[in-house]
Amino acid sequence: MRELSKIEEILLVAICRLKDQAYGVRIRQHVSGVLDKEFTYGNLYSALHQLTAKKFIRPATGLPAPSRRGRPRVFYTITPAGREALQCARELNAKLWLGFPAFALDKDKIG
Amino acid sequence: MNPAPARPPRIPAWLLRLAALEEDRFAILGDFDEEYAELVGELGRAGASRWFWRQGLRTAPRLLGDHLYWRTIMFKNYLKIALRNIRKQKAYAFINIAGWAVGMTVCILILLWVRQELSFDRFHANADRIHRLTLEAFIGAPQSAPVAPTPAAPALVREYPEIKAAARIDRPRPAYVWNEDREFRVEGMGAADASFFQVFDFPFLSGNPETALARPYTAVLTESAARKIFGAEPALGKFLKGEDGKSYAVTGVLRDIPQTSHLTFDILRSFETLIAENRAAAENWFAISNYAYILLNENADPAALEAKLPAFIDKHMGQTLKTIGGKMVLRMQPLTRIHLYSNFALDIAPQGDIASVYLFSGIALLVLLIASINFINLSTARSSTRAKEVGLRKTLGAVRRRLMGQFLGESVLYSLLAMVLAVGLHFAGLRLFGNIVGRPLETNAFKTPWMIPALFGLALAVGLAAGLYPAGVLSSFQPARVLKRQWRTGGGVIFRRVLVVVQFTISVALIIGTLAVSRQIRYVKERPLGFDKNQVLVIPRLTPSLRKSFDSVRAELMGIPGVQEVGASTLVPARGIARSAFFPEGFGVNEPQPMDTLSVEPHFLAALGIRITAGRNFSPDLPTDRTDSVLINETAARRFGWADPLGKRFVLLSGPGDSAGPTRYLNVVGVVADFHTLSLHQKLEPMIIFDNLDGARFVSARLQTGNLSGTLDLIKKAWKRLDPGNPFDSFFLDDVFDVQYRADERMKAMTRQFGLLAVLIGCLGLFGMASFTVERRIKEIGIRKVLGASVAGIVRLLSKETVLLVLAANAVAAPAAYLLLNVWLRGFAYRAPLSVWAFVLAAAASLGIALLTISAQSIRAARGKPAEALRYE
Repeated sequence: MRELSKIEEILLVAICRLKDQAYGVRIRQHVSGVLDKEFTYGNLYSALHQLTAKKFIRPATGLPAPSRRGRPRVFYTITPAGREALQCARELNAKLWLGFPAFALDKDKIG
Repeated sequence: MNPAPARPPRIPAWLLRLAALEEDRFAILGDFDEEYAELVGELGRAGASRWFWRQGLRTAPRLLGDHLYWRTIMFKNYLKIALRNIRKQKAYAFINIAGWAVGMTVCILILLWVRQELSFDRFHANADRIHRLTLEAFIGAPQSAPVAPTPAAPALVREYPEIKAAARIDRPRPAYVWNEDREFRVEGMGAADASFFQVFDFPFLSGNPETALARPYTAVLTESAARKIFGAEPALGKFLKGEDGKSYAVTGVLRDIPQTSHLTFDILRSFETLIAENRAAAENWFAISNYAYILLNENADPAALEAKLPAFIDKHMGQTLKTIGGKMVLRMQPLTRIHLYSNFALDIAPQGDIASVYLFSGIALLVLLIASINFINLSTARSSTRAKEVGLRKTLGAVRRRLMGQFLGESVLYSLLAMVLAVGLHFAGLRLFGNIVGRPLETNAFKTPWMIPALFGLALAVGLAAGLYPAGVLSSFQPARVLKRQWRTGGGVIFRRVLVVVQFTISVALIIGTLAVSRQIRYVKERPLGFDKNQVLVIPRLTPSLRKSFDSVRAELMGIPGVQEVGASTLVPARGIARSAFFPEGFGVNEPQPMDTLSVEPHFLAALGIRITAGRNFSPDLPTDRTDSVLINETAARRFGWADPLGKRFVLLSGPGDSAGPTRYLNVVGVVADFHTLSLHQKLEPMIIFDNLDGARFVSARLQTGNLSGTLDLIKKAWKRLDPGNPFDSFFLDDVFDVQYRADERMKAMTRQFGLLAVLIGCLGLFGMASFTVERRIKEIGIRKVLGASVAGIVRLLSKETVLLVLAANAVAAPAAYLLLNVWLRGFAYRAPLSVWAFVLAAAASLGIALLTISAQSIRAARGKPAEALRYE
């Protein structure tokens, strides 16, 4: 299984968390919040296309919404393959940080 | 939520729309709108708009990059699918691509040829300012030829300042030359003024163009002639010996004459040589056998100059013309019109003609039209079989524009493949086509700069057109209806029928044409000519000294076993005619009768097998025959209304308009059966035959069948003994006579080749239509079979339409072919009547071919199991 890039990981997590609200606006707001900076739609959709091509997520067109001047929302749901990839990433993260607590970084900095 | 959200700023929204992939254009713009609407609530309109601008500008480039990336990925995908489709439907793909490629190949070849024809003589820098002098003479009978009086060219330059230069050229003829003692034959040895290279741009490889032909006994050679005669050594400064025994210094070597020059030669001697040998002839205004070209100054008006030429003629020739009661008109013919627009019986070399340029261009257009429509037609017919695939794709969520893109892309790919194939094929066709048009093509598609881009554009346009129907119609189908086979396409059917009729009309017309042209050519070749052209060897080299001792020449040749008869004459059939005016008994001085004249040695008639129908032949024993007796042909007797021509007389005036002089008479002592001196394009004219060897150039010998080459060898040896100074030359009369029909043979080859092509392409169109019809009626056929229809009955049902269409095509083609063939046949004075069989045969052949073409489709449909056709319900 190919490894996920950080941004893909963040997006997959966001899509999982947002559940039935996983569409452009919400995903972007969520990711901007996580990153603590403005995440552009360009970067968002570029990454979403990659994930779609890898079959980690699946798009589905919703109903037209009045607040979007009649344009439908496209909702993303994670696929089993996406779930598996996310699982791997999580385990990798866990392994990566195992036995290396946060204060170790602080100490290094001081040292 | 606010039911009517504020409208976000237009410019960034527009930018986003442009940049985004079309699939998520709505999603992205929707996201922006939604967030904008929320921000309007939080920050107010101005703040929200600022956000929209910032976000939009930052997003657009990224979206665009993404867009392009996915486009290329998808393109690869489509290409893969398209190639897979070709592999899946090999026969269809082959037919479609090959048909279109052949059409394009023909078009490329014809375009190249037309371009070559139109570019004749344009390689001269001053082509637009060069004119050739032509002469119309009315002395007795009217005659016109592209020649001028020998002294005219230098006189014109002297007298008219608007003429910058003028050059004479003596017609290049086949000749023998010697390097030391090695003999070479060249196809064209002429003579030209030194100013020749001032008028024309024939580039020199060595030598000085200005002085090359300035002195007598100098010559310039073309590169290949120089290589042939002198080998690898430089020819400049060497000497070659001519047939006159004189030595010529080589003063220049030219690059070979381009194929697109109306004037071709291998060697040019200096005109000064001719002047040095016969000054009187060079100054004789009535020596009219040289071609003259003039180069005008830049601002000169050709029409104004031409208007001054009558005065010029009057000044130099008026006196004499008045005495002999003749008239001459000198004209100017632009250089660039010589090849295509001039039609003189005796041109410097055989020229092209603008009619065939139009004819071929028309054919090219027609072939292109038919082949491209066919391509479109076949693509359309085939796409109907993919309706189900489209339905399936649409249910699976394919966007309409994507589907259209795929269909368009596929047909464009097919079309471009055909183009590549056509460019390859045209190399193979260059030689074949050169044979058909009788002149090699020196170019190819890559040497013509606009050709490849033009072809590419054409292939692209036709590919797009071919993809439009499936793209437009199929992608608009409602999936449910398509999958239930409830779709109909009506409009294409009429179009397809018309197309088949048009294609078969052309095919049938060409088949009729081929049959009729072959018949006519056979007719003119087999029609009795009034003499026996077979087994006659002609030696066109009777010199004045041999003439004086012709009796011994004849005895020498007659002594050779295998030689039956030997005679001599001024002309032989197929080698031109000489026509003058005569005054037969019963016609007044103001009623001159044009007659073909021929002077013979008495045995000539027997040698050619010309029969005497009344009276007697000339007798060597009667010296008065030489001066007072003539023979005429039957046509002359008829024309002059002489029931009993023997003893009739011609009045020989000592000078036209001078009736006071002593009157002499020519007595008709015999009548010969009509014989053709020209091809059967020309009508037989009255002929008068004199017993006179003056000017006789041709010795004709009738040979026995059998050991021809042995006899020929002996004759050659005997001739070498008789005339050791000159090379031997000979031809067989039937060969040169048949050469006259070369243009007709070419016509036959052309109608046959294009007829084959048209039939092939027509069958492609029919095949497309048949497969389309069968596909559409498959269910009907199934039901009919269930209800008890036989295979034969269904094949008949499916063939009915084809038969009707082909019959319709015949109905159009037959009268059209009839009219066109009549126009062509009018070029023959003697023609085989158009046979109804040609029309019947063409109809039968076209029907047979058409039925054969659709048989595979209809038989398969008829033999299919009804259950398979119907199982969808």
